[in-house]
Amino acid sequence: MSYVHPEYLVDTEWVAAHSNDPDVRIIESDEDPLLYAMGHIPGAVQVDWFSTLQHPLRRDFLTKEKFEEVASNLGINNATTIVFYGDKSNWFACYALWIFQYFGHQNVRIMNGGRLKWEQEGRPFVKDVPTFEKTSYKAKDPDKSIRAFREEVLEQSSSKKPLVDVRSPKEYSGELISMPNYPQEGAQRGGHIPGAVSIPWSQAVNEADSTFKSSDDLRALYEGKGIKSDSDVIAYCRIGERSSLTWFVLKYLLGYPNVKNYDGSWTEWGNLVDAPIEK
Amino acid sequence: MPLPPNLQEIVDDFATMTREDKLETLIAYAESFPPLPDWLREERDKMEPVPECMTPVRLFGEKLPDGGIKFHFDIPPQSPTVRGLASILANGLNGLKPEEILSVPADFFLPMKLEDAITHQRINGFMGVLAHMKHAALQSMEGKT
Repeated sequence: MSYVHPEYLVDTEWVAAHSNDPDVRIIESDEDPLLYAMGHIPGAVQVDWFSTLQHPLRRDFLTKEKFEEVASNLGINNATTIVFYGDKSNWFACYALWIFQYFGHQNVRIMNGGRLKWEQEGRPFVKDVPTFEKTSYKAKDPDKSIRAFREEVLEQSSSKKPLVDVRSPKEYSGELISMPNYPQEGAQRGGHIPGAVSIPWSQAVNEADSTFKSSDDLRALYEGKGIKSDSDVIAYCRIGERSSLTWFVLKYLLGYPNVKNYDGSWTEWGNLVDAPIEK
Repeated sequence: MPLPPNLQEIVDDFATMTREDKLETLIAYAESFPPLPDWLREERDKMEPVPECMTPVRLFGEKLPDGGIKFHFDIPPQSPTVRGLASILANGLNGLKPEEILSVPADFFLPMKLEDAITHQRINGFMGVLAHMKHAALQSMEGKT
């Protein structure tokens, strides 16, 4: 069986063939903000998950107006096909794609395998930063159907609907508050949201080349843990970046109709006064 | 107590830079990141891990004949930001005596306003690298390396 929406994935060969296509914009989004400058796919521009996509003051994404400015400066119009790729098995590529969808851009893709696969295939990395003629992009109002807020997560938990905790097993158990090897701060309490099942994000990708696992493997993985397509699903992690990869997998590769990413994630829940926690 | 002169110079430079200049300077530091010397390549186990970092980082303080310390780092090329930050510390502290390294305040970098260019998570990693450099300096002082 193939993916339910295979059109949301492109391979490295497709990207190589479309690097000069004016209807396609290739966007690199990495965990490490300097990687793009060290070398990127020819024709690719950069979006940084933090400095580009976050609000400068509040803990939130950039405003709709600011998003329009970012997209216009990258020469994107409302019909442009945007392909995202990045480091770390496309974590932050999925995060950027999710935020572009949040502002209503429908025509988005992930380059399967990301930077790792491109590099493994010996394809070129360049330092030239392309510029495009400025457009006047019109964003839609934020699509709240793909983003969960804390009240909704509490409701999901108390009504025993599916929650997927995609963090590492030790974060789920509460032994660690952040990822192994990451600074252990950012939350006052460890554990997980009551009722959440643990399905670490990395189980959805092949370690060897960062590509997504087959649809059969993915279906077995999530359905095996009781995460099925006939229910609303909310995924979360620490800040919402790893869970945006899981969100992408559930929504597009497996075709679940109602999936939300809770970007407040553990750095909100683990600090929230009176929030229920399970260990 | 003043900072070691090389480190002070780096701090002063950063203090006046725009965000773009900071990023470019970090890239330059990442590009000048020296490869791990062959003799250490075989002895990675002896190197001190820095678990505060987002990336697998190891460091080693080589004792020089004059009692100074030269730091070596093992950081993957896929993590240029971490390489750049480690390079800054190496450029600021290499060759100094253990006591001088131990005297650097943990918050020496605040005037650099690194938060203009990188996230707080990374700044935590940067502090972690300094802490482990100090630990290596202390070990050297106590004759353990």
